[in-house]
Parts: sequence; C-alpha cells; structure tokens
Amino acid sequence: MNGAVREWLDERVPLADLVGALRHKTVPHHRYSVWYYFGGVTLFLFGIQVGTGALLLLYYRPSAAEAYESVQFVVTRVPFGWLVRSIHAWSANLMVAGAFAHLFSVLFLHAYRRPRELTWVSGMLLLLLTLAFGFTGYLLPWNEVSFFATRVGTDIVATAPLVGDFLVRFMRGGADVTGATLTRLFGFHVAILPAIATALVAFHLLLVQRHGMSVPPSVEQRANGDPSAVRQMPFLPHFLLRDLFAWTAVLVVLAGLSTFYPWELGTKADPFAPAPAGIRPEWYFLWAFQTLKYVPPSVVGLNGEFVAAAAMGAGALGAVLLPFLLRGTPRARRAVVWVGLGVLGFMAVMTSLALTEGAP
Amino acid sequence: MKRQPWWRLTPTAIALIATTGGARAQSPEEAATTAFRDDVHAAAGVTCASCHTGREGRYDPLPRTAIAPLCARCHSDAAYMRQFDPQVRVDQFLQYQTSAHGRRMAEGEPRVATCSDCHRAHGVRRVRDARSPVAPINVATTCARCHGDPARMTPFGRDAAPPADWSAGVHAAALVERGDTSAPTCSSCHGSHGATPPGVTSAANVCAQCHLREAELFRASPKKEIFDAIGEAECLVCHGNHRIEAPVDSGVGVQDGAVCAPCHDDAGDSGATIRSVREGLDRLSGAVATADAILTRAERAGMLVDAGRIALREAREHQVQSRVLVHAFAGTPFTEAATQGVAAARRAQDTGEAAMRDLQVRRRGLAVATLLVLAFLITLGFKIRRLPDFH
Amino acid sequence: MASDVSGRRNILNWLLGIWGGGVFGSVLYPVARYLVPPEIAEATTRTVSAGSAAALPPNSGRVVPFGSQPAIVIRTPGGELRAFSATCTHLDCTVQYRADLQRIWCACHNGQYDLTGRNVEGPPPRPLEAYDVNVRDDEIVIARRS
Repeated sequence: MNGAVREWLDERVPLADLVGALRHKTVPHHRYSVWYYFGGVTLFLFGIQVGTGALLLLYYRPSAAEAYESVQFVVTRVPFGWLVRSIHAWSANLMVAGAFAHLFSVLFLHAYRRPRELTWVSGMLLLLLTLAFGFTGYLLPWNEVSFFATRVGTDIVATAPLVGDFLVRFMRGGADVTGATLTRLFGFHVAILPAIATALVAFHLLLVQRHGMSVPPSVEQRANGDPSAVRQMPFLPHFLLRDLFAWTAVLVVLAGLSTFYPWELGTKADPFAPAPAGIRPEWYFLWAFQTLKYVPPSVVGLNGEFVAAAAMGAGALGAVLLPFLLRGTPRARRAVVWVGLGVLGFMAVMTSLALTEGAP
Repeated sequence: MKRQPWWRLTPTAIALIATTGGARAQSPEEAATTAFRDDVHAAAGVTCASCHTGREGRYDPLPRTAIAPLCARCHSDAAYMRQFDPQVRVDQFLQYQTSAHGRRMAEGEPRVATCSDCHRAHGVRRVRDARSPVAPINVATTCARCHGDPARMTPFGRDAAPPADWSAGVHAAALVERGDTSAPTCSSCHGSHGATPPGVTSAANVCAQCHLREAELFRASPKKEIFDAIGEAECLVCHGNHRIEAPVDSGVGVQDGAVCAPCHDDAGDSGATIRSVREGLDRLSGAVATADAILTRAERAGMLVDAGRIALREAREHQVQSRVLVHAFAGTPFTEAATQGVAAARRAQDTGEAAMRDLQVRRRGLAVATLLVLAFLITLGFKIRRLPDFH
Repeated sequence: MASDVSGRRNILNWLLGIWGGGVFGSVLYPVARYLVPPEIAEATTRTVSAGSAAALPPNSGRVVPFGSQPAIVIRTPGGELRAFSATCTHLDCTVQYRADLQRIWCACHNGQYDLTGRNVEGPPPRPLEAYDVNVRDDEIVIARRS
C-alpha cells in the first residue's frame, strides 16, 4: 500500500529528487553554527504571521468606523481570537528581533562575501520589508497610540524637499491620517507586501540552497584554507531536527507570551482628540525616533529631520549594497565588524535613552 | 430699531471713535459712551438724553433712588415694551418693590442694589448673553460683589459668607465646572428682581423643582408633619442651605457628625431604622465596589464583561434610587431598592468571576500545551543526541 | 545490544510521534475553534436588535442594552418608532418612557425629554443621542449614526 502510493506519487511529483538533494545537503558544523538557526527561526515566524494574518482577515474590517470594533470583536467574542491576535502581534515583534539577529550574525560571520552578494541584498530587502510590515500593521487596530504614531511617522517623510508632500499623500492616501490611510496601509499589509515578500523569500532560499551555508573566514583559516576540512552536518535529519527543536521552542514562547501578556488593544483612535502624552512607535523604530529628537531643526540650511532621515536612508542603502562596496581583505572585514558593532551600540544606546526618557 | 447713524452720535462719542485705541485715561462720560455702544438700549434707539438731564457732552448723574423708577418708565409699560419683544415681562419693578432691596431703597437707603448694580448702567446686555453679569454663570459673582463683602454687609447686620459657601457646594460645581446652567445659583432660590430670603417652606419648593422624587417622598413621610410643627425647613435641616455638599452614605446614622444625630440616638424604633438604612447603604456600596473591581480586573486582562457592566449599571441605578428612598424615612421601600441593587451587583460580580475563571482555563490550557511541547522537545533532544555520528 | 539500541530508538520515534501529535493538536484545536463562526456574527457596537415591533404599542417605550450602554426605543402616540441613547445627559441615570407625560423621563432629577429627544425640562443639559431605527420583519433594529 505504502509502496504503491509512493510509486504513484513518484511518477507524478519529483519528490525523490527533492529528498535526494536534501539528503546530500550538508551544513558546516563549527563553534558559530548556532547562528545558522536564526534565519530558520525568522522564516518560521514569517510562516506564523502568514497563518495568523490569514485567520485575522476572516473577521477584520479595514475602515475607520469598524476597524477597532472588529479587532475588539475578534479579541472578545471569537473563540481563541485573543490568542490569534496576540500571537500575530508577538510574533511580529519576535520576527523583527529574529531578522535583526540574523542580519548581524551574517554580518559578523562575513557570510555576505562572494558568491553570496545577492543573498545578502535580498535578505536586507526582506528586513526592510519586515519593518514595512510592522509599520503598516501597527495602524490596523485603529487605536489611539497607533493612530498618533502613524501620524508622527509619516510626518517625517514630509520633510523631504520637493517630493515630501507627494510622499506623505502617497502614504496617507490624503492630506492627513484618516480612514483612507487605514484602507491603504491595509492593502499594503495584506496584499502588496506579502506578494513581494514571498517572491523575495523564495529567491533568498533558492540562493541559500544553491550556495550552501557560508563558513566564516576565521573557521576557514583554522582549517588552513581548506573548506572541505570543516566538519559537515547532514541537513537531513541532523540539522532539520535541530531546526524543528528551535521552532517548537519559539512556538511555546509565543503561546506563553500571548497568554500571560496579551497584546493590549487600547482605546479607539479619535482623530480630533489632542495627541496623548507618551506617543512612541514600535520598539524597533525607537532608536530612529530618538535620534530625530537630538537633531537640530536646521542643518546647513536644510530641515534637520530630513537630513537625519536622509542619512539613515543612505546608511540603509549602504547596508544593502555592502558586499559590492567592500574589498575581500581581512582589513576590510575587521572594519565591517567595528562599524557593525558601532551601529549596534548606537541603536542600543538610543533605544535605552528613549525607554528611560519615556518612563515617569 | 436700527443703530444710530454716525451723525447722530454725540460730539464726545465722535471724538472718542476718532481716537479709538488711545491709551489716555477716559473721563467717566467717555467710558459711559464707549460702554453704551454695546448696550441693548443703544440698539433700541435710546439715547443719553432719554435717561439723563443736562446738555450734550455734559450729563448729570442720576440719584440712586431714582434709577429703578426711571427704568420702570419703559420696562413696566407693556404696550411700549411689546414693540421690542412681544413676550417680554413687565413686572420687574413690581417685584423689585417687594424685594428686600426695593423696600429699603423706597425707605431712602441708597446703599442697597438697584437695577444698574446688577445689569450695569451703560453696558446692559440681554440675560441670555453669556457676557451679561446676570447670565446664570455670572449671577453668583455679581451678587457676591456686595453679599460677599463684609464691609458692605456688616452695617445691615448680615453675614457675608453665603456666596463663598455656595461656591463650595455641589451646585456651584455643576454650574461652573460642568456648565450645567440648570444648576441653581443665588437667584434660583432668592429670586432676582424680587430677591428676598425665602421662607422656611418656600425653600423646599425650590429644591423640589429638580429633586422632585425626594420632595414627594418627604412630603408623604411622617417627617413632614413633625418638621412643620416644630417650624423646621424641610430639606435644609439635613442638607444645609448655601453650602450644599454632595450627600454621603455616612451622613445617615446616629453617630457623631451624622445628620440624624442632632435629633435621634441609638434608642428605640427610629434608631433601629436609621441603623438598618445605613447598613443597607453600606452593603450596597460595598457590593458595587467589589463588582467594579473584579470587572476592571477582567477587562484589563482582555476579557469581555459587557453583561457584567450592564448589571453593575443597574446596581448603580438601584443605589441612586435607594439613596433617594432614604427620604421616605422608613424601612420598607428603601430595603427593597437596596436589596435589588445588591442582587444586581452580585450578578455583575458573578460575570467578573466567570471571566476570571475563563482566564484561568486559558492558562490551564496553555499549561497542558506547554507540557506536551516540553515532552516533545525533551524527546526530540534525545533523538538528536542519538542520531548517528556524522564525523 | 544492537536490537536493544534499535528498540530504544523505536520507542523514541513512537514517543516523538505521540508528543508531536499532541503539539500539532494543540495548534490545530484553537485554529479550528477560531474558524467556527461565533454565536454573535458581528460586532454589536453599531447595530443591535431591540425586540419585537408588534409588542411595542403606541405611547410606550422599552429600554434595551446597546453594547454596555442602555438605549430606549419608543413608539410615539402617532405610531412612529424612535430610538435614543437611554443615558440621561445630566448625571448618567437611565431614562424611561412616561406614558402619562408623553415624554422620556429621568427619575433621578425629574429631567424630561420630548419625543424627539430634546431636553425640555429639568436639569439635562443636552438632548439624547438619536439612533436610527429599522424594522426587519417584526424585529426592531437600532443603529448608531455614523
């Protein structure tokens, strides 16, 4: 029976090829191997987001009049709605954290080197997409905090010369944050961004399969420049089971966080109310938010906020194109580590400043 | 009636308009002319000479005793006033003559209030104009100019405390802070043109305009007869007059400081009734507070407790009702309302407790799932360690 | 010895399958429950059923819950249905219909509203918020105006 089914399937689906390829796939095993799991964890969380996001769509209504009520309905009336929504919110945050951990591990292990430049570029674009998911999803419950955070966030774009007004109109779907903004960000969040993200994830994974995992230069050196001397772990079943272990652990953490710290809904947004005190964006935008506070209003005749935002944009662009800007020398790699540590330290300091400042 | 064309303004007024905004000190006449431009009388075609004798630019002030009769020349003439407002009242002067102010003024005492003291002399506005000193929100301030000033009140043997007392009470809070213009101010009880201290019984009639149920209950209760017999005012005995504070449950009782204590002690039927009413009030407010606390906890945890909120609302209404029913001064109707209130609060509490239990179920469900996951992880760990070596 | 090891591995695989099935079940169960439509099909904050229209004779009123707030549905002596928030604008007591006055009345401070919800007597500072009324078959449905 089993054999007959397999035969029937084999004739139609190239399953055996796929399993065979995976059987031959190996993963380098060394003291930094643990960092390889962060990509998988981020992918797993992305899957959770797709799943819970699809579930939320069954009850969510993207209009200013009904968005808040529909989320409230999900949380209070739908069986396990509270769990689905909380997992979606918590998983989003863990996914951002996972993506950042993946990014910095790849950076510090120099996995962006030839021939993996495009893997890096697609990964960086995926990180930016993740942030865009966070930004667009934040407004959807239409509560007070997210409403004003979105207003402030889009205001920064307005500081750009010439195109600023157009960009703000583009993001808000009008002059101000309204129901039109909600519908628009909803469209981005559930259709446009997922389509792009899925394509990019597929591309990213394809490249990972094509090139295999990168071995850090320090490990290579210890193996006297002979990559084949590095121990290899079979992907099937050794690595996959470890991946499974990590994913299940993440799942239980998510369930625990969602049950004990359900994501708050807050109060419904009132566009005519004055902005409440303590408006702040999601934690992963805090460092940028805080930096903008320290920027003088005017820098060499330009709007200070715009200069800071442009500098951050340039930094992001530089990060995306990093593999092409770098020579493959050990000195350049050391510089990358120092710059990476500097950026990480800056983000940490700014975030902690923002957190302590906000505290009463 | 149209405003006056500019060529009919007095030379002083023209000079004043020409130098509008000038910082120099105005003479009394100039100040009067400026104020008069916004006066309702100016719009009605009244001029300086309508009230004042003298020649243009130099008018004589009116003696204070002559002011009210002067105003009455028009304001008591129904046929004349009708052309400005067909529904206007014309009894103000009649009322004024019955008032404490008017009677003294008629006796030749010029220090008491007359029309212009409250309405202003040259900047008279309609009562419904919020800038008018006699608009509901401004009445207390206007009266307090004299009645809150000990220097003015002492010669008449009067206390200057009432305005400050009123300001500390619930009605001032309702009027000034909430902008509830139906809240009583000085004139609501004392009258305006006929202002006079209300008698013992008429004060309760004023209270009954809004506090109808309390008045009905009181008048049907045995207290009514007793209070009438001993000559005590109805509401004022317990609630005071000017400084009427929000009533509190602890006011009911026979202990020191309670409003019943001056007449009642612990003994006898009345003492027992008072104690049982107080117990009922306390039980109800305790039940409401407990239910509210648990509902709030459940809401914070993300649970839906609409049914509980509705029940709590009902309990609060029974609480309001039962506090009203205290004015029946008997056990029965009060106990009924209080019991219903406690029952509603209990229902609200049950809803809250059910929500909290539901929350526990969630956590227990998570615990089961977590155990399964942990078992899976441990087994998986073993499995990984037992995989064939890949070296 | 070898059969011992493979036996132990077999047990391990069995256990893994059982626990894995449990984990899978505890993911699937909430999802399945989530997919089943809830008893109340949509958020009730905008519209709510206010009972039978036939059971509400002219010159009478009925207080119904609207979310966690009360609403009042009245049928005027002329036979028209109207609905308002039942929260008195004075001190938040719940109002009721007084057939003898032909008005909406608040027992707390004798506040009165006419049949269009306007505050006409007593302390209420504002009119009652009016709701839309529709009748589906015999069911009165009231809706908050957007």
